[in-house]
Amino acid sequence: MDFGLNEEQDMLKTMARDFITKECPKAHVRKMMDDEIGYSPDLWKKMAELGWQGLVFPEEFGGSAMNFRDLAVLSEEMGRALIAAPFFSTVMLFGLPILQHGGEFLKKEFLPKIAKGELVGTMALLESDGDFWADGIRTKALKRGNHFLLSGTKMFVTDAKAADYFLVAARTQATANPENNITLFLVDAKEWGVYVGKLKTMDMIRKQSEVTFSNVNVPATHIVGESHGGWQIIKDTVLKANAQLCAEMIGGADWVLETTVAYAKDRVAYGAPIGSYQGLKHRMADMYMELEHARPLMIRAVEYVRENRPDADLAVSMAKAYCSDVYEMLTNNGVQLHGGIGFTWDHDMHLYFKRARWSTNSFGNPTYHRDLVASHLEKQLL
Amino acid sequence: MDEKTAKLDAFRKEVRTWLRANLPKKWGTPEYKAPEGFTQERHDLGKWWTKKCYDAGYTGFGYPKEYGGIERPREEILIIREEMARTGTPGGPSSLGLLLAAPTILAHGQEWHKKRFIPKILSGEESWCEGFSEPNAGSDLANVQTYAVRDGDEWVVKGQKCWTSMWKFADFGILVVKTDLKAPRHRNLSSFIFDTKSKGFERRPLRQMTDESEFGEMFFDDMRIPHINMMGEENRGWYVAMTTLAAERSMGGEAGVSQQMETRLGSGVDNLIELARNHKRFGKALWEDPVYRQKIAQAAIELDAYSLWGPAFRAKARKGGASLAATLSFEASVSKNYWAESRQRRAMLIEDILGSYSQLMTGSKHSIDDGAWVYEVLRSRGASIEMGTTEVNRNIIAERILGLPREETVKKA
Repeated sequence: MDFGLNEEQDMLKTMARDFITKECPKAHVRKMMDDEIGYSPDLWKKMAELGWQGLVFPEEFGGSAMNFRDLAVLSEEMGRALIAAPFFSTVMLFGLPILQHGGEFLKKEFLPKIAKGELVGTMALLESDGDFWADGIRTKALKRGNHFLLSGTKMFVTDAKAADYFLVAARTQATANPENNITLFLVDAKEWGVYVGKLKTMDMIRKQSEVTFSNVNVPATHIVGESHGGWQIIKDTVLKANAQLCAEMIGGADWVLETTVAYAKDRVAYGAPIGSYQGLKHRMADMYMELEHARPLMIRAVEYVRENRPDADLAVSMAKAYCSDVYEMLTNNGVQLHGGIGFTWDHDMHLYFKRARWSTNSFGNPTYHRDLVASHLEKQLL
Repeated sequence: MDEKTAKLDAFRKEVRTWLRANLPKKWGTPEYKAPEGFTQERHDLGKWWTKKCYDAGYTGFGYPKEYGGIERPREEILIIREEMARTGTPGGPSSLGLLLAAPTILAHGQEWHKKRFIPKILSGEESWCEGFSEPNAGSDLANVQTYAVRDGDEWVVKGQKCWTSMWKFADFGILVVKTDLKAPRHRNLSSFIFDTKSKGFERRPLRQMTDESEFGEMFFDDMRIPHINMMGEENRGWYVAMTTLAAERSMGGEAGVSQQMETRLGSGVDNLIELARNHKRFGKALWEDPVYRQKIAQAAIELDAYSLWGPAFRAKARKGGASLAATLSFEASVSKNYWAESRQRRAMLIEDILGSYSQLMTGSKHSIDDGAWVYEVLRSRGASIEMGTTEVNRNIIAERILGLPREETVKKA
C-alpha cells in the first residue's frame, strides 16, 4: 500500500486547490449558506468540465475512469475548502450505488448526466429514529402492477432541496429479518407526492431536509439492484461514503491546524506572539500529532475499499471513528486558540466546527463504529 | 498460484521449520518459564537467540553488507517478522545497540567504527548503552557538565551520567561530554564511543518505582578514551546526539524496529480481549460490557494508527525529497508522544479491567499473570519521560515542524 500520492494525483490535488480557491472562496460559501438550494449551477457545470462528478465512472458513461484513491484526493480538497456544491450527495450517495449495483438501463440513463453536471442526486435513508440500521427503515413500497407506491418520511437527507432524484430505501415485503426486505428505489423529485421540508441545521453549507413521500409513483424499472436486496447496497454505499468522508475530514482538519498556527504566529499578547507560549503551542503540537495519526488510517481505509478487500469494513470503521474524534478535537482547539474572534460568526472557524459535527454524526458516530470494531476483533479471534 | 507466491510460501515453511528447530525446548508451552526483567539469564538468552538468527540470516537487515548487514528481499523480511511475531521469540539482548548505537555510528562514525562495531551489534554479541542524561541535564540535555580534557592521543573524562538504560550489560557506550569549557551551548560538546572495561569507569543501579533497576548511574573518574573514538567533529557532538535521539524517538526507524516491539504490538489487543473475557464484574465478563468493548476497540485503533504512522511518514519523506534522517529528527517526536500517550491509556484500561487485583505485584499470591500487567501499569508512566519528555517533544513539534516561535525564557537574576 502506498501512502504517498503519485504524479497524477499530485496534479489533481494542485488543480483542485487552485480551482476551488478561485471559484468557491469563503465569500461564495457564505452566500450559499443563506441560499435555499445551496449551490450555484455555474460552479457545478465548471466542476463537470474538469471531469470531477464522473471521475470514477467508466468512459462509456462519460467518466474519466480514475480510481477511488483519486476521488479521495478531491474529497480532501473539498473538505478543506468546505465547497458549496452537492458533490458528496451526488457522487457518493447517488452515483456510486447506481454504478456498482444498478442495471444497464439506469447506468446509461443517469451516469452520463451526473458526469455532465446536469443532475443532482442524493440518498434518502434515515427515518425518525435518526439511526443507521435496517430496523429504522419504515417507509413502505406497495407493488401496483409495473409500479410501486412509496410512502414514508425520511430524515437528515443531504442536499434534498437541490436534488433532482433520490435513492429511497423502502420496505417491500414482510420478513422477520429487517435487512431482507428493503429495496432501493430511484425517485424523481418532481413526482407528485414528494415534499421536501426545511430543517434548520447546524451545518448551513451541507444542508439537510426532512423529505416526505406520500403514495409516490415509482416505475419498477427504477429499482436499483435486486428487489428486497437494498440493504446490502446501502451498506456498501455507506462504506464507500464513509471512506470518502474521512478524506473530507482530514482536509478540513488540515485547514483548521494551518489557520490556527498562522494566527498564533501573528497574534501578539503580553508582548510576544501567542504561539510562543507553551500553554498554546502544546495544544497545537497535539493537534498535529493527532492529525498525523488519523491521516494514515484514512488512507488505509480508502485503499482497502479501492482494492475491494474483505477487511475494508474494519479499516473504514477504525478510520471513521478516529477521524471524527480528531476532527472534533481540532475544531474545538481551533475555536479555543483563536479566543474571542474564534467564537464569532465572522470567523470561518465555526464553519469547520459545525462540519465536524455533521461528519461525526453521519453514517455512524465513533461509538457506533467502535462497537463494530469490537465485533470484528471478536470474529478475528475465533 | 504463480511462481513468486509459491516461492514465498516455501520460504515461510522454511522459516517455520527453522523456528521450531531452534527456539528453546518447550518454548511457548506453559512448562517453559522465560527469564524476565534485567537478569543475566534474560540477557544471555537474548544474546544467544540473536546470534542464532543472525547466523541464519534472519536478522541484521537494513545495513550495508560491508558493515555486517544481511541483504534479503523485502517480502522475505516481512515473512520472517510475521512468523517471529506469531511464534513469539526470546527477543534481543538487553542492549541499545540496534535501536540507538548502530544508526548513530552509521550516520556519524568513522569508517573503522562502522566496520568494527556495527556487525557485532547486528549479531547481538556486543551490548550498548548511551551516556547522555545527567542529574542536571535531562530535558535540557545541552547542559551536560561531564567534561573531557585532551591529553595527547587521548581524552580524560570526569563526571557522572544517570537514567542510563541498559547500563548493566553494556560492553560499549556512546558518551556526550563537554570538550570546550568556554564555547557557547550546543557548540561545546563532543561525542565518543567508550569501552565499559576502561579504568576509571564505574556503574551502579538506580532503583525505580517498578522496584527494578532498568536504569543505572555511570561515573567517570579520569577515564581515558582514545581520540580515534570520537564520532563527528570535535565540539559538534550535539548534532551526533540529535541523530541518536531521533533514532530513539522513532524506535530505531525502519531497520531498528526490534522483534520484541513488533511482538508486543501484534498481540496487544488480543491480550486485552483475553483479559476482559477472563475478568467478571457482577457476574458478567467485562468483554460483554459495551463500555469495555468501546475502550478496547479504541486501543486497537490507536495501535493501528501508531503502526501506520511509520510507512506513511516514509512516503512523505520520500516525496519531500528531504533526506529521511533530517526529517526524522523532528517528526519522530510525533510518533514518540503518540506511543507514550496511547500506551498509558492502555495501562489505565488494564487497571480498570483488573480492579482490586491491579495492586498485586509480581511474586504475590493471587497475582494475575504473575504481575505482568501491574508491571505495565507502573512501567508505562516512564514512557512520557524517557526519550525526551512529552513536553520537550511538544516543543520540538511546535517549533521545528509548525514553525512557532520559541518561548522567552525567564532570565536568572
